[in-house]
Amino acid sequence: MSAARAKANFEPLIELEMEMGTFLSDWDHCDHLSSFMARMISHNRTDPVRHSNFFSSALNELLEVTFRGGLPEGRIGCTVYRQGPKERVKLTFPCPPSQRQFYREAVSKTREQDAYDRYLDAISNDLAPSREVILLDLAINFEAEISLEEKTSPSITLVVDLPLEGIIS
Amino acid sequence: MSIGALSTPYQAEFDANSQEFSLAGVIRPRTVDEIAASVTALRHAVEGARGVLYINVKRLAQMNNTAFHAFARVVLDACRARSDLRFVVVTSSVVGWTERMFRHLGKIEPQISVEVYDSKFYPGQDFVEDTSFIPILRTQTKMTWRHERTILPRHGMRAGIAMADICCGIGDFAALVRKEFRPARIVALDHSRASLAYARNVAAEFGITDIEYTYGDASEMLLESDQFDLVTCRHSLQIFNQPDVLLKELFRICKPGGRVYITNEKNSHCLGEPRSQSIQWTYEEVAKLFSHFEMDVELGPKSRRYLADAGFEDIRVESFMVSNLDGDPQDFADIIAAWENVYAGEMAVKRGDSPEFIRRFRQGFQDHIFAALHPKGYAGWPIWAASGRKPL
Ligand SMILES: C[S@@+](CC[C@H](N)C(=O)[O-])C[C@H]1O[C@@H](n2cnc3c(N)ncnc32)[C@H](O)[C@@H]1O
Repeated sequence: MSAARAKANFEPLIELEMEMGTFLSDWDHCDHLSSFMARMISHNRTDPVRHSNFFSSALNELLEVTFRGGLPEGRIGCTVYRQGPKERVKLTFPCPPSQRQFYREAVSKTREQDAYDRYLDAISNDLAPSREVILLDLAINFEAEISLEEKTSPSITLVVDLPLEGIIS
Repeated sequence: MSIGALSTPYQAEFDANSQEFSLAGVIRPRTVDEIAASVTALRHAVEGARGVLYINVKRLAQMNNTAFHAFARVVLDACRARSDLRFVVVTSSVVGWTERMFRHLGKIEPQISVEVYDSKFYPGQDFVEDTSFIPILRTQTKMTWRHERTILPRHGMRAGIAMADICCGIGDFAALVRKEFRPARIVALDHSRASLAYARNVAAEFGITDIEYTYGDASEMLLESDQFDLVTCRHSLQIFNQPDVLLKELFRICKPGGRVYITNEKNSHCLGEPRSQSIQWTYEEVAKLFSHFEMDVELGPKSRRYLADAGFEDIRVESFMVSNLDGDPQDFADIIAAWENVYAGEMAVKRGDSPEFIRRFRQGFQDHIFAALHPKGYAGWPIWAASGRKPL
């Protein structure tokens, strides 16, 4: 299957957008939005309850990453797509030029050979998880494939493919 | 910030007797400060512990990386300071990500291991999750449905409700309810992967896509609180050694004002004519056999007490007799034959019963079948249906 075709097969399931300022006004938005979206998209999975639990875990981490680095300008958008056993989360949020390089590096590190060693090292030594470690967590514990799109400047988009249906059953 | 600042309360508890530190619920703090009290509690637990400290995360529905790192930090530091201490993290097979996340800790410090708590919830688990139960369940539901379809509306069943069938077995009850009563949502939960696979196949064959079959442990469910107008749990309280624990969970997921509906047997009251004595002897022995495996198949008439003790109000109890006159007597006979196979063929053998006992034990089932198929015979299986309302 060609890359273009694989892409075309991702069907949008749910889309959510809000002002960054509103999002940042309450930490609980991460929990509420991830739980809500997880429940909405999981109802027709083989095991909706467990799929929703797993998906909520992953999405919450992504939202928390955005929250922690977030500035109260522009909008945050989150769309979930499905292709067979996989969900794709596209999280778009405003990102100042100074932080772009950070995201580029953090994303590319999830695909490097030493990702697991880095992850263990962080659990072993760091006091709190950095945003980079959270992306590693997604890659390792959720088998996520993570990439970055920078077409929508001043925003960037984290693209995270999660093969949870296969992990659960 | 206090724990209360988190959207959903979580629990962190230490039981010094069992040296078990438990985390449950949803733990998604913004900063470590929000969970500082619990992190300190874990640190104290470690300080006082000898030998093995258990960290129970079976009921941990969600935990973010911030919390994971904070708790992991305490455990890892303890490993470095205390070479005499071991840690066992107890996860559940139901919550997929906990095992994945905690397993890494053992890679860092070999003193930490992860155990997946799974099939051994209670002594009789192996029998009831066995696939040999599938044919029994199927015929049983077919027979009980004739009665329950008229009973259920008196216990809160109606169109448009959200309902959950806990310990759903092969899911046929959920499918029958869906067709007859058209609830808006049905969640069906069981801990037998074989039964769930069967349920999903049957659903797929009939083009049913809106029953949410889920793998779970009825005594520790991932389902959120206060969600369902009606929670049903059929023939299952009686197979748990702690029915009150299960009932508490059913209560929890039920909406205030909603109802929990349970059915249970009193096996010693199974009856038949002719050959009533032999039949009666065998079913009294059935009750004893189950109690040997800590299951109470005499629970039916105790439903009222259990519901009252669990905090329900407006409790309704009724009983019905499934009999050989309900439809095809052969169906009744098939159920008895299946009971004989499992009870005499497996459970009595496991208990170590003598061949003479097993022969006599089997005879009662065969006499029950005889009564069921006899042109003038009567064979009965009594069941108690009960429900209670969760207070508003
Ligand atoms: C006697 S069967 C009743 C099944 C079904 N309600 C019926 O009436 O046909 C008991 C069921 O409880 C399930 N079960 C046992 N332990 C369980 C647990 N801890 N959590 C969820 N289900 C469990 C078994 O797999 C089995 O399907």
